[in-house]
Amino acid sequence: MIAKNRAFPGGYRFRHFEGRPQDKLIRAAIPATITIPLMQGFGDEVAAVVAMGDKVAAGQIIGRDDESISSPVHSSVNGKIVKIGKIEYLGNETTAITIESDGTGDWQSLEGCSAAWDNLAIEQIEELIYLSGAAGAGRDGIPTGFNSSIISPDEVENVIIHGVESEMYAVSSSLLLQGDNLPHFAEGTKILRKVLPHAAFSIALNSECNSLIADVSGAFADNDWCDVRGLEPRYPADYDEILVSAVLGRQFPAGLLAANIGVIVLDIQAVLAVYDAVVAGKAVIERTIALAGPGFEENLHVNVRVGSPLQHIIDGMVKQGADLRFLRNSCLTGEGLFDLSMPADRTCSAIIAVVEGNKREMFAFMRPGPRKDSYSRTFLSLFLGGEKITKRCETNLRGELRPCISCNYCVEVCPVSVIPHLLFHHVEREVIDEALLKYGIFDCIECNLCTYVCPSKITLGQWIKDGKAKLLDEGIPCPQPKFALKGVEEDEDTR
Amino acid sequence: MKAIRSLLDRLYEAPALQRYKPIIGAADAILYGTDETTRGAPHVVDNIDIKRYMSFVILALLPAVLASVCFFGFRVIAIIMVSYMAGGAVEVAFAIIRKHDIHEGFLITGLIFPLVLPPTTPLWVVAVGVVFGTMFGKEMFGGTGRNIFNPALVGRLFITIAFPAIMTMNWQKPFVSGPEAITSATPLTTYKSTAKASKVNPDVVEFEKDEANKQVLFTSASAVKRCTQNGDSRFDGVKIYCVGEPAYNKAGKHKRIEDDNLVRLFSYGDLLVGKEPGSMGETCRIVIVLGGIFLMLARVSNWRIPVSYIGTVFVLALVGHRFLPHDIAPPVFQMLTGGLMFGAMFMATDPITSPFTKAGKYCFGISCGVLTVLIRSFTGYVEGVMFSIVIMNAFTPLIDQIVLMFKYRPVKT
Repeated sequence: MIAKNRAFPGGYRFRHFEGRPQDKLIRAAIPATITIPLMQGFGDEVAAVVAMGDKVAAGQIIGRDDESISSPVHSSVNGKIVKIGKIEYLGNETTAITIESDGTGDWQSLEGCSAAWDNLAIEQIEELIYLSGAAGAGRDGIPTGFNSSIISPDEVENVIIHGVESEMYAVSSSLLLQGDNLPHFAEGTKILRKVLPHAAFSIALNSECNSLIADVSGAFADNDWCDVRGLEPRYPADYDEILVSAVLGRQFPAGLLAANIGVIVLDIQAVLAVYDAVVAGKAVIERTIALAGPGFEENLHVNVRVGSPLQHIIDGMVKQGADLRFLRNSCLTGEGLFDLSMPADRTCSAIIAVVEGNKREMFAFMRPGPRKDSYSRTFLSLFLGGEKITKRCETNLRGELRPCISCNYCVEVCPVSVIPHLLFHHVEREVIDEALLKYGIFDCIECNLCTYVCPSKITLGQWIKDGKAKLLDEGIPCPQPKFALKGVEEDEDTR
Repeated sequence: MKAIRSLLDRLYEAPALQRYKPIIGAADAILYGTDETTRGAPHVVDNIDIKRYMSFVILALLPAVLASVCFFGFRVIAIIMVSYMAGGAVEVAFAIIRKHDIHEGFLITGLIFPLVLPPTTPLWVVAVGVVFGTMFGKEMFGGTGRNIFNPALVGRLFITIAFPAIMTMNWQKPFVSGPEAITSATPLTTYKSTAKASKVNPDVVEFEKDEANKQVLFTSASAVKRCTQNGDSRFDGVKIYCVGEPAYNKAGKHKRIEDDNLVRLFSYGDLLVGKEPGSMGETCRIVIVLGGIFLMLARVSNWRIPVSYIGTVFVLALVGHRFLPHDIAPPVFQMLTGGLMFGAMFMATDPITSPFTKAGKYCFGISCGVLTVLIRSFTGYVEGVMFSIVIMNAFTPLIDQIVLMFKYRPVKT
């Protein structure tokens, strides 16, 4: 038996998929127009503070709302506002501001920033983090004295910064931390430490990148409040729920947020944004986005202005003549990007181009499959898959919908130990009652791994999601954990 | 290629064939795979599908099929074809009535069912059995995924009860054909009928030939050695049965055992390779075990049930044989006879009819093992694998419910 040295049960390693982004960064040109949605990430929609025809500078706040839980949004180019109106963005209707750029690349810096940040008052640092928009990162934001998170800075007990790269395609952590960025990252973490004085910091990186772990550990060698560790890049290791239990060994409140137990989960770009805000006074106007998947001529990272239209970002990079589907951030949970005029906002970290697999394959199920990924060990890719023979990434369903045969694949990969097919059977038969609570339906973190591995092609993740919604419809709420929660009143207000 | 494609497309559109769409669809899907794409997240999914999943079971069974063709002749192929045709007809009929696709589960039922039959089974009995099994073992419950009992075993059980003579008396010796090939004695029946009347593993020193000791059954090679090496005349004229003797050397060392004396000998090597009578697919244990391990490695079947099942039989036989040697056969003999290996590797592991919880799987395997030893040793039936799996199939939902009850506490809201 293999020794069980696992940080969490289940999970799945996505190995050797074609089109992993290389550690190469290019800078995209400044687009002619940008669109800034006024709702980005977890916060509420903010109010526009500019009017049609106004001249704006890059880094200038164009939308803010200090009352609700949110963080300001900025113009990412110098130019003129040409439109303020509703758009359909990622399934929600939201107001967006369109700005025509004048093509210049300079940006306006925030007042009060200082390289000697240690001399600044905590309130000043908090204000910089808030005004720069860096506070809007992750699912919980960075708590400041301004309503940027559901909890206050004093309530933060743990901060987890992650770059485990467990997704099929993820932004490369070593690219984000190369060169000057590593000391900047360390500085950014120290700034956060000053703002969140009671917090212990953990940095979780891909356990296979030994040199990166060594470098980061070196940068924090003298700081005993920060723990740097490697985590196996097994999907979904980058999820808040998994990190909280795998890194901290703490129980996650089902259906709630990490902030509710005083944990803030951030990615590497969020920490770098904090550094940029406090030291350089630079608002979140740029974003490093991975161009992943077989649909691109070259898989690399591109530094773009926030709000750049997708078409502008991928222009000239896409393979010609291929039928492609573009995805946002994740193959398993990401939204399909069908309208390429939509912008990439500051929560976008990857654009994935996968081949639309609508072609039929002769004797598909009998092929040896050296390039076919599978959780089961029934394809040759088990032996051949590697850097040379990469696995194909297509949207083909690979089979027909069939009844569940309880093969238990979904149970084996489930990272939170629920039994997806059991929940599916209940929801399918319209048995919406306490039994679903008992079987832990609200523990599900919607990572969609069960749907990925299902040989019967049942969309288990979607059924479980529907089950949760139906339970809430029937007035059966998610059971509240017994431990004390933080920021609950505010949380309910925002829902 | 194009010709087939256009033929299929034309068949789809033919108005007369609208009712038979499941058949066309199945042929189409087997030939070409799907052109369906994911709708929404996850946008990319695993390459495994039920067709490949099931075809791996068939792949793992192929060596056993080939072995049985070797042992029992080409009649085996005829039996398998009848099973596929008769059972397939039921499956297709239900698919047409229910207006759904043809489900692949039948591919396995149709192959496993003939493999658990005696090689001499008349073809019409095969057809009756598979039709009954598919219809009442599976379709009556709502088709693949909803059945409680393993359909192949339901069919086997039905014809065992309906045609007892055919199913228990006509065993065929491997590599032999013609009337002299038919025997009523499988290793398990031989043990059952001789052990009662024999002196089992006598202490050689104290062995006295008398009226009661006309028959001796040795269950270990060392015991045979002990009594034969002494050059003991007390064994003259005593019928010797022997289980597990690795090799019988006629001209060599074991001189005291004359040909006439040694009535029946079951070498473990022969049992492993399959040189003894039994059901078609179950005799060649070595390829069954290898096939089973292949399935476990491919993640198609789970190791928990076979290991706990066979382990339980071994332990129970080990202990039981020590105390009740006349009833309970020795452990290795139990493992290498009857349908234990086949049942544990390919039938008890059927994911639909066995528990899905880990604890449930152990519980299922252990219960099957206990039942198998009990039925084999203390009932009128010589073989217990089929009954024990079917009985435990019925308990599967209960086992899962109990495990879930312990695993998940009710939530107060």
